[in-house]
Amino acid sequence: MTFPMPDLLPAAPEILVLVMACVVLMFEAYAVRGQADRSEIVARPRVAGYVLTLLTLLAAAGLTAFTANGVSATTFSGMFVDDAMADLLKLMTYLAGIAAAIYSRQYLADRALMRGEYFALLLFAVLGMMVMISASHLLTLYLGLELLSLALYAMVALRRDDAVAVEAAMKYFVLGALASGLLLYGMSMLYGLTGTLELNKMAATLAGGVDNPVVLAFGLVFVVAGLGFKLGTAPFHMWVPDIYHGAPTAVTLFIGSAPKLAAFAFVIRLLADGLQPAHADWQQMLAVMAVLSLAIGNLAAIMQTNIKRMLAYSTIAHMGFLLLGVMTGELNGYGAALYYVVTYVIMSLGAFGLILHLARAGFEADALDDYKGLNSRAPWLAALMAILMLSMAGLPPFVGFYAKLTVLQALVGAGWIWLAVVAVLFSLVGAYYYLRVVKLMYFDTPHSHEPVLATPGDARLLLSVNGLGVLLLGLLPQPLLALCLEAMRLTYG
Amino acid sequence: MELFQDLLGPAWTPVWTLVKIVAIVLPLLTAVAYLTWAERKVIGWMQVRMGPNRVGFFGFRLWGLGQPIADAVKLLTKEIIIPSGASRGLFLFAPVLAIAPAMAAWAVIPFTDRLVLANIDASLLYILAITSMGVYGVIVAGWASNSKYAFLGSLRSAAQIVSYEIAMGFALVGVLMSAQSLNLVEIVKGQEGGFWHWYWLPLFPLFLVYLISGVAETNRAPFDVAEGESEIVAGFHVDYSGMAFAVFFLAEYANMILISTLTSLMFLGGWLSPIPGLPDGFVWLAAKVSFILLLFLWFRATFPRYRYDQIMRLGWKVFIPVTLFWILLVGLMMQTPYGHLFH
Amino acid sequence: MLENYFPILLFILVGLAIGIGPMLLGWVLAPNRPDAEKLSPYECGFEAFEDARMKFDVRYYLVAILFILFDLEIAFLFPWAVVLEQIGAFGFWSMVVFLAILVVGFVYEWMKGALEWE
Repeated sequence: MTFPMPDLLPAAPEILVLVMACVVLMFEAYAVRGQADRSEIVARPRVAGYVLTLLTLLAAAGLTAFTANGVSATTFSGMFVDDAMADLLKLMTYLAGIAAAIYSRQYLADRALMRGEYFALLLFAVLGMMVMISASHLLTLYLGLELLSLALYAMVALRRDDAVAVEAAMKYFVLGALASGLLLYGMSMLYGLTGTLELNKMAATLAGGVDNPVVLAFGLVFVVAGLGFKLGTAPFHMWVPDIYHGAPTAVTLFIGSAPKLAAFAFVIRLLADGLQPAHADWQQMLAVMAVLSLAIGNLAAIMQTNIKRMLAYSTIAHMGFLLLGVMTGELNGYGAALYYVVTYVIMSLGAFGLILHLARAGFEADALDDYKGLNSRAPWLAALMAILMLSMAGLPPFVGFYAKLTVLQALVGAGWIWLAVVAVLFSLVGAYYYLRVVKLMYFDTPHSHEPVLATPGDARLLLSVNGLGVLLLGLLPQPLLALCLEAMRLTYG
Repeated sequence: MELFQDLLGPAWTPVWTLVKIVAIVLPLLTAVAYLTWAERKVIGWMQVRMGPNRVGFFGFRLWGLGQPIADAVKLLTKEIIIPSGASRGLFLFAPVLAIAPAMAAWAVIPFTDRLVLANIDASLLYILAITSMGVYGVIVAGWASNSKYAFLGSLRSAAQIVSYEIAMGFALVGVLMSAQSLNLVEIVKGQEGGFWHWYWLPLFPLFLVYLISGVAETNRAPFDVAEGESEIVAGFHVDYSGMAFAVFFLAEYANMILISTLTSLMFLGGWLSPIPGLPDGFVWLAAKVSFILLLFLWFRATFPRYRYDQIMRLGWKVFIPVTLFWILLVGLMMQTPYGHLFH
Repeated sequence: MLENYFPILLFILVGLAIGIGPMLLGWVLAPNRPDAEKLSPYECGFEAFEDARMKFDVRYYLVAILFILFDLEIAFLFPWAVVLEQIGAFGFWSMVVFLAILVVGFVYEWMKGALEWE
């Protein structure tokens, strides 16, 4: 019983990120050694973790891009797969990680959070997402999910003395654990039914017909409910607003962006890969979840006075839209959903990045009222925010419009016209609260006329690129859309 | 014997097993009783005193050999006080919880290669599992007493026991790597061929760690802060009296004998004779166990008590790194042609 | 196979009996004359004030958490150690990676002072 040495090359980026996460943690550990004065340790920002994180993510991006060839490579006894979809999603994950690090730097330094822990947790979260994205086995999926979730719980609780943040972390932890339990229960049923944990084999077994459709239905219900929790779709959305609101904005930015990519990969790997033969069963569940999410997300967002909370409800609605693409069960729909999630992450990064940009020590800039008359104080930031909001609302010529359009096209193509109509209606409702932010910025008088503090040049530059990118991708939607569809075709075509 | 077998029919197996259990437990309890006597005698001699020398049998003093019996009778006739604030059920259950694992672990201990009650393959795993239960007795006792001294004592004691359990567990892993088996009989058989083949030599650091952890695990001096009489009186059993206290006392000494036996089995070749020519047998095991028990007493007579922070530092910052390093070293050596040195 | 475990079950019961028996015996043989002073918890002769179930140092909690982590690690090491000769270099190095990650955590908690008891 000797085991062959597995091929480590497909997992090279994961290995790199793991090693570097440990290195960052060790840097932090040795930075505090021999320092008697605790307050000094806490206050002084430690830049090593920041620099190492950026370098690591860049190097991982290089590795992933270098080894991306559109061919699926499996390793670790079929538990891990490196394919076109994985490469695309991983590249986006690195991008989100880099953006999160750059946007957050000033915010973290102002709040004495600029420590190795934040960056080590960020890298561990990225690693968890990478493992999820490349999973071809239920255990790997679950492993990645837990690695991501545990890192996120800790990140939310990073400000230990902030009661709101700790409460949010507690809620996140308890609900996340519940969701994991549901998911595991569902997975165990599927395992009992098919006798395998490998997604390919599971699909093959299911395609051959099952003896016990009741068990399959139960397993599916639990798995889909678990997925719903992790994605934050209604009726499993309760945690999203509280966590977005309670977490430090730097962490909200991160939670609101990259994990959506991994959650998308999770849904696709599990439903579109492993459970494709049971498509008819999960399709209806996803349809219900999608409609509920669109309704609750868009309607509840209108009543919010806190922009982080508003964006949280908007996330719920966006995830509902994402599910619409997946539920078609067709390659076009998956491609559209991939395009949707990629563009959503870009918009989300920009929006939260802007909130971070306006925040400073002792001021979070998270009330909608803080945005009144932003145009007169910082016209360029207001313009960027307007672009992002209009794009999220799904107005042309921004990229959000094409994302919604592609999903709707896929829906109509699959014959779900009523769903497409519902989605359009709720998007119109949703446009109201995005436009309200624009109205606040341009037509209301500001509370104070003090200028926005100067923030680091790199964050400012990145924010501009991010905002203009949303516009540019909207003007030229074809390349990214084609890339997404091609990645899906190479993976599941 | 066949007569009895026919007479009892299906009830034969339980009855015969029970007889065997009694055959283990009675000598064990006797050993526990006389260990308390030996402790007082040995420490007495080390401090140039006589130790107990009055209570004997039938008018003969016999070096005070009657002392443990007298102690037992005295404790039997003392009132079991249950403090008014205590949780009655838990208070009475805690001593049972302390002694039951200390006894039950003996089910898998081999006395020679044939003389073992239950020769199961997972015996070491069973030992690890059942001895971990002992800490509950301490925690429950401290909690149920509803007394500050007992509570503090049980916290200290529990933290100390679990800390040293890790080091002990790592030391066991080293033994498993050398023996390639979880079965205690197999582990002893793996050490055949003279005392330089016993595992204490290739696993010397683990042997030391195991021995010292064993002392800490049983809350014996110099690691007895849990009952440090100068600060928290008697620790977790301060509010126990009469037989309830006696059961805790029994459990502590039974655990000492258990740890000594395990050390002898895993590191000192159990019943194997040190020189290849001599016959193996139970007498060797008894001699080795007695020697380690003597060490326990010797430590108590020699070392002053550690401070609590020193105890925790030793457990976490010295023993865990040392054992981890040695495990890796043994594993690494087993990948090379020199692996046999560790078998 | 399973009948090998029967003596163990019986031994556990005997172990419980050895705990319960003497206490019952003590209950029967010893006097039982409680009074309020005798039953008050021991507190060096003082009247006991407030409940003893009080807040305690969070470090005990930390030790318990760390214990769970490391005990789990040992539970993983057990089967690995038994079959180490058969699983070859890959089996060995897999565990080395696992231990290395745990050591990183251990060093971190050490440096952060989680193991200090002053």
